Amino acid sequence: MASKRTVLSILVIVLALVAAACGSDSSDTTTTTEAEGTTQATTSEGTTATTGAATTATTAEVAPDPVTVRAAITDDEDTINPYTYISGFPGWNLLMMQYDSIMQIDSDGIPQPWLAESVTANADLTEYVIVLRDDVVWHDGVPLTADDVKFAYDYFIEWATGRFSRDLRGVESITVDGSTITIALAEPSPAFDLVALADIPIIPQHVWQDIETPGEIAFDIATNVGSGPFKLVDYTVDQFYRFEAHADYFLGASPVSELVVVVFADDAGTNAAIRSGEVDVVFERLSPEQVGLLDAQDPLDISQGPEFTTQMVNFDVTKRPFDDLAVRQAMSMGIDRQDLVDTVYLGSATVGSPGWVHPGKPVYNPAVAPTFDLAGANALLEDAGYTDSDGDGIREFDGQPMSFEMIVNSSDSLRLRLAELVSEMLGNIGIEATVASVETSTWEEAVWPGFDIGNGRNYELAMWGWSAPVQANTIRAAQLFHSDPGIGFLNLTGFAHEDVDSVSAQLQTEADPATSDQLVSDLQVLLADNVPFIMLAYPDGAYVYNSDVYADWEFIAGQGIVNKLSLLPVSARP
Amino acid sequence: MRRFGGRRLGQYVLVFAVAVTLNFLLPRLMPGNPLALLAGVDVGLMSAEERAEVIEAVGLNEPIISQYIDYWKSVVTGDFGFSYRSGRSISEMIGERLPWTLLITGAALVVSAVVGIVTGAFSAWRRGKKSDLTLLTGMISLESLPSFWLGMLLISIFSVQLGLFPSFGAVTPASDLVGWSHVRDIAEHAVLPIVTLSALSIPGVYLTMRYSMLEVLGEDFIRTARAKGASETRVLFGHVARNAMAPVVTFLAIRFAFAFGGSVIIETVFSYPGLGRLIFEAVSGRDYPVMQAAFLVITVAVLLANLLADVMYPILDPRSAET
Repeated sequence: MASKRTVLSILVIVLALVAAACGSDSSDTTTTTEAEGTTQATTSEGTTATTGAATTATTAEVAPDPVTVRAAITDDEDTINPYTYISGFPGWNLLMMQYDSIMQIDSDGIPQPWLAESVTANADLTEYVIVLRDDVVWHDGVPLTADDVKFAYDYFIEWATGRFSRDLRGVESITVDGSTITIALAEPSPAFDLVALADIPIIPQHVWQDIETPGEIAFDIATNVGSGPFKLVDYTVDQFYRFEAHADYFLGASPVSELVVVVFADDAGTNAAIRSGEVDVVFERLSPEQVGLLDAQDPLDISQGPEFTTQMVNFDVTKRPFDDLAVRQAMSMGIDRQDLVDTVYLGSATVGSPGWVHPGKPVYNPAVAPTFDLAGANALLEDAGYTDSDGDGIREFDGQPMSFEMIVNSSDSLRLRLAELVSEMLGNIGIEATVASVETSTWEEAVWPGFDIGNGRNYELAMWGWSAPVQANTIRAAQLFHSDPGIGFLNLTGFAHEDVDSVSAQLQTEADPATSDQLVSDLQVLLADNVPFIMLAYPDGAYVYNSDVYADWEFIAGQGIVNKLSLLPVSARP
Repeated sequence: MRRFGGRRLGQYVLVFAVAVTLNFLLPRLMPGNPLALLAGVDVGLMSAEERAEVIEAVGLNEPIISQYIDYWKSVVTGDFGFSYRSGRSISEMIGERLPWTLLITGAALVVSAVVGIVTGAFSAWRRGKKSDLTLLTGMISLESLPSFWLGMLLISIFSVQLGLFPSFGAVTPASDLVGWSHVRDIAEHAVLPIVTLSALSIPGVYLTMRYSMLEVLGEDFIRTARAKGASETRVLFGHVARNAMAPVVTFLAIRFAFAFGGSVIIETVFSYPGLGRLIFEAVSGRDYPVMQAAFLVITVAVLLANLLADVMYPILDPRSAET
């Protein structure tokens, strides 16, 4: 019939268009960048459309040298210079592929001299003397000198960047003498090497000296002249970046000659792409349930290890009933952290320490191990007068039920699962915590209004988490716990305790390592006793890569595997 | 011949003004603020003065009325300003992203129109028979599939398992293709998104066409045409389809409006750099200027599409023309 014919002819035309679009010869669509990936076989017997693999070569031979690595990220990072990069991870990592810092943390997280030949601090940690290497050149061939270092630090002090400017607070003077830079600090700064010298990129004076008001101009990638192992050569907004290896890098050119960083919308896309062979490594950590699946696929390998991100439950410590220590302690006691680790993270996490410090760190105090004691928690609440007078399973305080809303950001599915479990566990001790999943900005605004703790708190209970650098920086723990808003600007729960104040403040400027360790130890005990928030877990990091393309990834706790060290010749790594 | 009086035009202008006002107000009514976008991720490390400086630099501390007036100025001059997130010109950003969205949604519209009309006509013609019922059930099932699920399924089968199509992006990253290879690269990347979008639009067109056809098939003039001895083909194409097209065309015209911003989910699933994703990111981050500009584009598109439908319907069905 006429209509049947019409339908058929339309379908045939559509199929033909599809077939034409795919193209039968893949040779001119594949480029040098795709040649090495081992991918799913492109033999597609039995399919009606004749196609060739679009992005994958049919028989791939892994080129020995040089190598192109395609990395996946899930958010655009703008032009990735110190004033434009967007996220701490992976934005800062990509920044530090292009630039170097005076020191660089090794895989154990210890700062090592990098651009510096040596870094020496005086006895009371108020002065750092840096002797600079003399074999470093910028991407444009100009040598990197001590003047560049002074310029860079002065520039960040003058033109606020947030992170780097704050790192340099307390710097009184920077003087240059030949290849030696002397930095004098107003107060002793024990962690200066970690937070400043190993964190801040050195920018070239000859490029940046003419740039005024960097916060207001629109950069293009030509400004990104750095000294690092990679130079950004191409950038298509929201699609990809292309980095080329710096041939004259002082530690030797990277075996990876080209790094293509591809921007995805979410992790479902990155996982599909690593499985199909369209990318060779994924920047962001895998969800625990993905690990087994991806590991089972042949060329894919997983690099896994403990990390320093934290998951916690925040409460407003200035509001009833959370201002009562008994309530906070009972809540902490009523949480089965091991269950959380096993159920949500499938075992790939470390149980949260009530003393804040990660159990894997040398300064961890084992005396503060968490206790899970339902009976004890219930008894604590009973004795403190929070009884369930109407038998509905929910205790009361001040005549009202202990019924609260626990907000969590909807974009984090693992945290949502944690919230559901925590809610159940709190139910077991007679506290009703209703999980409310809200949009990320709304959640942030409720917990940290205007990013200023001076604005108070707009929540009862909230799931929260800090990124790795916060945990990594134990010396600066006062940021989280001090009651003075100028010092404790990350103190989101409104916590205030005299002893915690004095110990944490002293810790920030304590020059003697032994005293410093003792202070950290004491601090952990104080925190465990006074519960500023409920520490749940430190999730592990699992990262997937295609070992056929490049396998020398170095796992740095808190920085994942796509970091500067991973892309250097193995012999050159500290 | 002017079918449109000043009154009709005035209505459109009023709708436009209301829409523009809503575009301005709604972003600001949301909880949260663009501070994190403006200041960067280390906003928590900044001092209160630094944060205040950041807010002042973009004029967010001004009274709402003056912000509203500035917004109208930008609407009239077409100067949308700069994104809070990236500091880039918004006109440039929209200019980059809109074509990609239009590519996949436009192509999906064409495909779904063709397939929907043909299958809808066929189904109406075969009304009540097994083929009609199968199609109907199939189409309704298709419409109830979640778009992201269908997209992910297609990726899983055609990209991951079979390696036939790329799983993401508009082009192969860092590939420096030019000319015909470039066009082919774009086409390869567009296939799965277009198939997904079409699959979800076809049922709507199909149902509209089928229903419209059934209405027309019941009319007296069709019986007359058959009685006159016209062939089935002539009846179908010459009489039924032509008369049934009017509702379908208006349906498609409205659909076209949604082509401008409505493919967020597909663009996310396929990491396609389109306008939908830009809007989503702008909303998440409270990037007011980008949101305002993008919503304006959509508003204008919807109004134009409405206008188009309003103009076309009387042409297709003169019975509804204003005399």
